Amino acid sequence: MSPTTFILISQGIHGISYGMLLFLVASGLSMIFGLMDILNLSHAYLFMLAAYFCYSIATMTNFWVALIVAPVIIAIIGIIMERYLIKKIHPFGHIPEMVLTVGIGMVLLEVVKSIWGTQSLMVGAPDLLKGFVPIGFLKYPNYRLFVIGFTVVVLVAMIQLFNKTRFGTIVRAATTNAGMVGALGINVPLIFTLFFGFGTWLAGLAGVVVAPLLSVFPGLADQIGLDAFVVVVLGGLGSLWGAFVAAILIGLLNAYGIQFIPTVAPLITFGLMVIVLSLKPTGLFGERQ
Amino acid sequence: MNNYKKWIPWLLLVVILLVYPLVFSSVYTNLFIRFAIFAVFAASLNLLLSFTGLLSFGHAMFFGIGAYATALSLDHIDQLGLFTSIGIGAAAGALLALIVSPILVRVKDTAFALLTLALGQLLFVACIKLRRITYGEDGVGGFPIPSLDIPGGISIDMVQPANFYYFAVAVCGLGLWLMWYTTRTPFGSVMAGIRDNADRVNYLGFNIPLSKTIMFLISGFFAGMAGAVYALFQNLVSPDGVFHVMNSFTAIMMVFVGGIGTFIGPIVGAGVMTGLEEMAVRNTDKIFLINGLLLITVVMFFRSGFVGLYNLAKDKWFSK
Amino acid sequence: MGILETKGLCHHFDGMEVLTQVNLNIRDGERHAIIGPNGAGKTTLFNVITGTYTAKEGRVFFKGLDVTKTKPFKLTRMGLGRSFQITSTFQKQTAYENIRLAALSKQKIRYDLLRRTDTLKRVAEETDEILHQINLYDERHELASNLSYGKQRSLEMGMAIGTNPDLLMFDEPTAGMSKEETHAAVQLILKLTEGKSMVIVEHDMDVVFTLADRVTVLHHGQILATDKPDVIKSDERVKSAYLGDTEV
Repeated sequence: MSPTTFILISQGIHGISYGMLLFLVASGLSMIFGLMDILNLSHAYLFMLAAYFCYSIATMTNFWVALIVAPVIIAIIGIIMERYLIKKIHPFGHIPEMVLTVGIGMVLLEVVKSIWGTQSLMVGAPDLLKGFVPIGFLKYPNYRLFVIGFTVVVLVAMIQLFNKTRFGTIVRAATTNAGMVGALGINVPLIFTLFFGFGTWLAGLAGVVVAPLLSVFPGLADQIGLDAFVVVVLGGLGSLWGAFVAAILIGLLNAYGIQFIPTVAPLITFGLMVIVLSLKPTGLFGERQ
Repeated sequence: MNNYKKWIPWLLLVVILLVYPLVFSSVYTNLFIRFAIFAVFAASLNLLLSFTGLLSFGHAMFFGIGAYATALSLDHIDQLGLFTSIGIGAAAGALLALIVSPILVRVKDTAFALLTLALGQLLFVACIKLRRITYGEDGVGGFPIPSLDIPGGISIDMVQPANFYYFAVAVCGLGLWLMWYTTRTPFGSVMAGIRDNADRVNYLGFNIPLSKTIMFLISGFFAGMAGAVYALFQNLVSPDGVFHVMNSFTAIMMVFVGGIGTFIGPIVGAGVMTGLEEMAVRNTDKIFLINGLLLITVVMFFRSGFVGLYNLAKDKWFSK
Repeated sequence: MGILETKGLCHHFDGMEVLTQVNLNIRDGERHAIIGPNGAGKTTLFNVITGTYTAKEGRVFFKGLDVTKTKPFKLTRMGLGRSFQITSTFQKQTAYENIRLAALSKQKIRYDLLRRTDTLKRVAEETDEILHQINLYDERHELASNLSYGKQRSLEMGMAIGTNPDLLMFDEPTAGMSKEETHAAVQLILKLTEGKSMVIVEHDMDVVFTLADRVTVLHHGQILATDKPDVIKSDERVKSAYLGDTEV
């Protein structure tokens, strides 16, 4: 294998695993916007909080317990947020809602700093996923491959949830005609609250998964969060498939960008978003603003 | 007689502003300058938010480009005049607005917010990366601050805090007045129409993309001007100091805390937030917690901000 | 040539044919009504003419000029005024401010940044004049949202005529009105369109036969007939079109 091919392949897998991670963060954000018309700007901070929970729980017990417990705690926080804050502001339009969630994000950031400090914390990969897989001459970390596989499983599960379960059917119906579904005796506000919880649960999942991949630090929300926002907007607000394509695209562009054009690499993400939005304001797969 | 009475509060304000640096120490004059700069910046954001109905999450890009344009031109050009240097900053803000307007006029609502956020980040990152021009993360500092030359051979030293105070307050005051005037012109009426019902305005014969472009230019101009005064004030501009997304959020907070939908709101908000920040910095390092809680409280319970509270109190206690 | 003409106008949404080969001819100075059963394509035709949609096929001519792809603001400047089916005023502004924007447009004051709006005498005079015409002068300082439904509709019409158009297009101006309100609205329309051309899309047959000089019947996206009201009334095809569909 020539060095160039080597780099192409290893950076490619890097890019895909980062893209998958971005998709995990972005999917909850995108679905909450698409179905509930809420742009939750604190999403990335919930994701970061989950990474810190993962650190604490994994230190006390192990990674797998964190993977189960942390997202649930995040979902509960999300449900409380929706029920007591966002729901009351929703009728006043997008602008106060965006400002409110920015405020929540700031509070979460300070909470994280107060509890865990500002230094970077390391979370080791679980024993099962330590080590490397040989691919040709290349040794690739098991954990990154796990991230790819795990995200695919989550994506498939989500599609099943929406198309095959009663909860999915109700959510889809409630977003197109809340009044009608309400008239059928279904508690639509409760469904929405639960769905918001589900979206934040996904952010929690992403937060746990990211912890062993990168170090956990207070800039995590800004770093990954902004990329995740770009993914959501680039893919088209509300489009799950669009978010997936955009996430992989951004992941790959980042990985190859850092390798081949390091000076301008940080500009790629936002530059691409600006270019796409100026050509198609609704994003790659979006139908509305 | 009535006309004469109308000017009394303004006269009083001018007297207070003149006496202020004589009474208070330079810590407080500097605090006031900071307030004046952010009042202009927040008011420029508010031209879009309250008078056009668009929330910009990247307004720091106009502030930042203005600050950098002024700082860099002072750094590179000898004998640059004081007003010219501010003019360059304001023009840079307007120019950036002109460049991004073809993209921005097409979107509104959440898409506008996110697109401005992305553009703001793009400039933030570009500012850090384009080291050869911007000196990267260190920023531009130590550039000469020109004196104010008045024809007749008088030159006023702007490094002297009290002198700069009078100058900065006058420039910021003029900026605020000009923005207020804009909202009262026929163009301001058209913008209010676009905010409330763009479709109808289109059918009244107004070109919406062109009108919005002009509004972006005006908003960018004054944000750039605020940045320019900031550069002169700090004598140091850095990516974190001017282009950071927190700077955009600060302006948004000022508008909301002061009172959205009014012209005076962001000015009141800038006062409250500057004072609060000063107190907070002395007592705690948890500035995000305070800002975040304040934002949540305002949005949840006082959506019309301090101005709204004032009106409420006035109606309750001083009516009849 | 009439003031407004369409030639072979076709429009469809996602493959659903809504307008098929519509050739409309509005004469200069006439009041013309477009009627038809629900789903006949009246509102689509209205929106294609006024530039909300661009016709997929065919041409629209206004004052002899091809305006098929002309943007709404340019159409307005050429002398076309419209009202909306759903009241489309500036709810958070006063009646006076609502009308004033139309008066500004008429004076071609669009990007003026130097003068204050409230110092412009001619704009104020014209605004007052229109407010008198639509009987809203006494309520001029009320917010649009505080006006009664009927008065909001009057305000809507006031804005449409405020730019002094040669052709006025009204989209169901009496929809949702009581009998008294409808009567008042018809009188107002007659007054406002004096000496102008008008196209009205309307459901209420009484309104149509009081107002219109000529009537066009649209059915399944095609023109069934265009003629004087009494001729239309006795047209067998029109009767069957309405009776065939249960909705009238």
